[in-house]
Amino acid sequence: MKPQLTLQTPLELPYQEITNYLNELWMSEDKDNTGASTFTLTIWQPAWLEQCLVQKGLVNGPITGNLSPEIIEAAKKFILDAGLPITTSLNSEELLNLLEENLSNEDVDDFRGQFFESSISTLNPRRLITLAPTLNKKTDIKTFVSAYCPLTDTIVSQPICGDLVVIRGDSASINHKGLNIIDELFIDELPSWLWWNGSLDESPEIFKYFTNHGLRLIIDTALGSPKRCLKILDQLNKSNKAINDLNWVRLKNWRESLAMIFDPPSRRPILDHITDIDIDIAGDHIIQALFFISWISDKLHWSFLKVETDKESTKIEFERINGEKISTSIKPLALGNPGIHLGQVVGLRLISKISEVQKNNTCVILGCESVECMRLEAGGMANMELIEQVVPNSFSSSEYDVSKLLGSSRGNTSPLFENAIKIALQIFNGFNN
Amino acid sequence: MPSALSNPLRLGLRQERVISPQCLVIFGASGDLTHRKLIPALFELFLQRRIPSEFGIVGCARRPWTDSEFREKMKVKLSNQISGKEKEWQKFSNYLFYEPVDLQHSDHVVRLSKRLSEIDRNQATHGNRTFYLSVSPNFYASGCKALKAAGLLDDPKKSRLVIEKPFGKDYSSAKKLNKIVQSCAEESQIYRIDHYLGKETVQNILVLRFANTIFEPIWNRNYISNVQITSSETVGVEDRAGYYESSGALRDMLQNHMTQMLAVTAMEPPGKFEPEAIRNEKAKVLQASKLADENEPWNSCIRGQYGEGGDTSNRLKGYRQEDGVDCNSTTETYIAAKVFVDNWRWQGVPFYLRTGKRLPKRLGEIVLTFKDVPVHLFESTIINPAPNQLILRIQPNEGATFKFEVKSPGSGMKSRPVEMEFSYDESFGEPSDEGYVRLLADAMLSDPTLFTRSDEVEAAWKLYTPLIELMDNSPWKLPIYNYESMTWGPPKSDQLLSKDNIFWRRP
Repeated sequence: MKPQLTLQTPLELPYQEITNYLNELWMSEDKDNTGASTFTLTIWQPAWLEQCLVQKGLVNGPITGNLSPEIIEAAKKFILDAGLPITTSLNSEELLNLLEENLSNEDVDDFRGQFFESSISTLNPRRLITLAPTLNKKTDIKTFVSAYCPLTDTIVSQPICGDLVVIRGDSASINHKGLNIIDELFIDELPSWLWWNGSLDESPEIFKYFTNHGLRLIIDTALGSPKRCLKILDQLNKSNKAINDLNWVRLKNWRESLAMIFDPPSRRPILDHITDIDIDIAGDHIIQALFFISWISDKLHWSFLKVETDKESTKIEFERINGEKISTSIKPLALGNPGIHLGQVVGLRLISKISEVQKNNTCVILGCESVECMRLEAGGMANMELIEQVVPNSFSSSEYDVSKLLGSSRGNTSPLFENAIKIALQIFNGFNN
Repeated sequence: MPSALSNPLRLGLRQERVISPQCLVIFGASGDLTHRKLIPALFELFLQRRIPSEFGIVGCARRPWTDSEFREKMKVKLSNQISGKEKEWQKFSNYLFYEPVDLQHSDHVVRLSKRLSEIDRNQATHGNRTFYLSVSPNFYASGCKALKAAGLLDDPKKSRLVIEKPFGKDYSSAKKLNKIVQSCAEESQIYRIDHYLGKETVQNILVLRFANTIFEPIWNRNYISNVQITSSETVGVEDRAGYYESSGALRDMLQNHMTQMLAVTAMEPPGKFEPEAIRNEKAKVLQASKLADENEPWNSCIRGQYGEGGDTSNRLKGYRQEDGVDCNSTTETYIAAKVFVDNWRWQGVPFYLRTGKRLPKRLGEIVLTFKDVPVHLFESTIINPAPNQLILRIQPNEGATFKFEVKSPGSGMKSRPVEMEFSYDESFGEPSDEGYVRLLADAMLSDPTLFTRSDEVEAAWKLYTPLIELMDNSPWKLPIYNYESMTWGPPKSDQLLSKDNIFWRRP
């Protein structure tokens, strides 16, 4: 989808004046048009990769906050030129550190907060607040505001106008000054969402500020160290905060495909005799795979026993109610063409044994490509009853996934996710014991 | 045999749309439909956690019941469904309210309006309301007017009106009723319900046709020789004689359920899966439909009435012997019609529709019979190779069967027909929701996709106008043929097809 751009050039105002300006703006408008009664969305939009690439002149500006194909291509080229392994993820810290070296401090056009994918803009957000931290650590805060009334093809009887606010500056200035006005920008009667579109490792004070303010959270646990991600999930879960995780949302295809295999009642007994599950992931970020295995174990009422890790894989053992053991493993793969998100599941192999005779047993293989299926078939799997399926990884952008959440969810944590988090935490804590 | 166990990995995976806070007001709450279909469907939605906590169901009828009497009566009527779920029912019944209302009395409606405001405050339903007219069709027009007069339909975003079938009794009455209803509410607020469209299997026709590459290229006059749509019941008129005597099979089944199945089977692909795009295509196909012989419509239809039948141990009464039925009744309990769809896709392909009571099996199906192969290269084990058939089973044993020829085992090269099966039970192992569960939820979600629009209803009545005029003005031209109970209708109905060298499928 093409991003949509505001028609009105945002007006730069001192940050202290933003709230008054918006209040007056809406009061002076047509009385019937008090703005869309939808939601407020605050976005933490660092776009570090894009900022670096634009500053380095490797892609043309302006900075928009959208991960375009040009940015992906330029980053991949840089990875090769810099001699980094071809398997380096676009979100890797190593890549960003290299890109940040010798950056010029030239001013580049920064349009973050003015570009939105149409999947979000068609939901007619009442207010979009973008926090746009700059690479330059000495940038004082700048705030911009713009109101808009989109033109529509159909006659609408409800107001659909909204406004957007951009708060740009270095992280410290956003923290010290920007957050002072944020509170006043939330509209009490409308739901307020926060989309933390960055690593969960960065700017903990700012993140904490939002979690303490009861916003509906959208995070991405593929961004940030697994330890920090799980710690945050634990804290949020314990304090009953609503969490939506894009890393969990992206797992939907896999959960659905695995469930689909067992829809025919004739296949259900296979579930009672699972002995092994192996999950392959791209890169070494294990959170998504942990969620996957936790979801399976929750649904099949397995108890977690122990976890071990070595260079090649993480091995987790579960126990069925009848005392039978189930061995599972998560294996990071170094892929030549890594996806955008770290640690995405690329394959699953499930073995169910009901007999000593191999051909009476079942092997279920899900792979993101047929090559992955073939890899998982190795080792005599074809001697069993083999059920294989290719599960294409989700190609939707984060903006699209966010729009789905905004459009359909009430913001509360999905019960399936909540249970998966609890088990994933048990497993993760098992590393330390 | 499929196991009855549900798929544990499936639990909680389906993301159903959650209904927004609102009040559902059921007029005719003391009637059969309320306890047989509506409250069970709402309880099912509650069990599926799709009912928000801010919700209310207000039963309205003339009887002077209280809230607790209404709750108690529903509990008794639904005792089978509630069994084992008493705690859930306890919670659900808190949503149930009752207000005695006679829609003919404006002061009753004003009192209802006040009660709804009170429920809005207590249940936090924000004035968001769905009104369900489950009353006698004679009261549809006056009911709408009464609601309009009380200002209950004023906000098109917050009020919806669901109207049960039959919508009118012929083309002119449907048109008149549409005019009245549309003067009370915007078309976007009106949900004309046809519970066949709520059936998973009817919706599956759209998915089968438009989510697969293989069917659509052959779904036309070049490959299909005829289409048969059957809906048969084993039961007789039961306790509905009063209604049935004035409606008959044409008005009760053919004009609505059967014609909607025709529309879904014959429509063009919509540009988008959006309510208006789909309803546009359905309306277009119905507008292009006509009786096979409009000039002599008696050639396009056979009417029948069941007589005595059954076996000696269970002798069944004939229709005219049923309680409440005129002993000289000329109401049809069986009807078969031949229809053409006058467009590029279907020109010349006959659609045969039949429905009846006291037939040997309860079933609904759509059978697409493909044209014969141009040259018969192989001898068949039976006389002639059977034409390919795609059979879409609406109920029971929901699914689809594809019949095609294969080589019969042996040294010769003879062909024989075999069947390829898809069964909902074997593939999914879980029963699908009752049509009313889906449709009630859709209406409350303001999704009109599965509801019939005014132009569809009118086109469906218009299609059968020549038959209705004959029945009213010169019924001897469309005689009623007697058929023995538990047989496939009057033998005469076979002639409707045999002229084209086609035969009814014996399911």
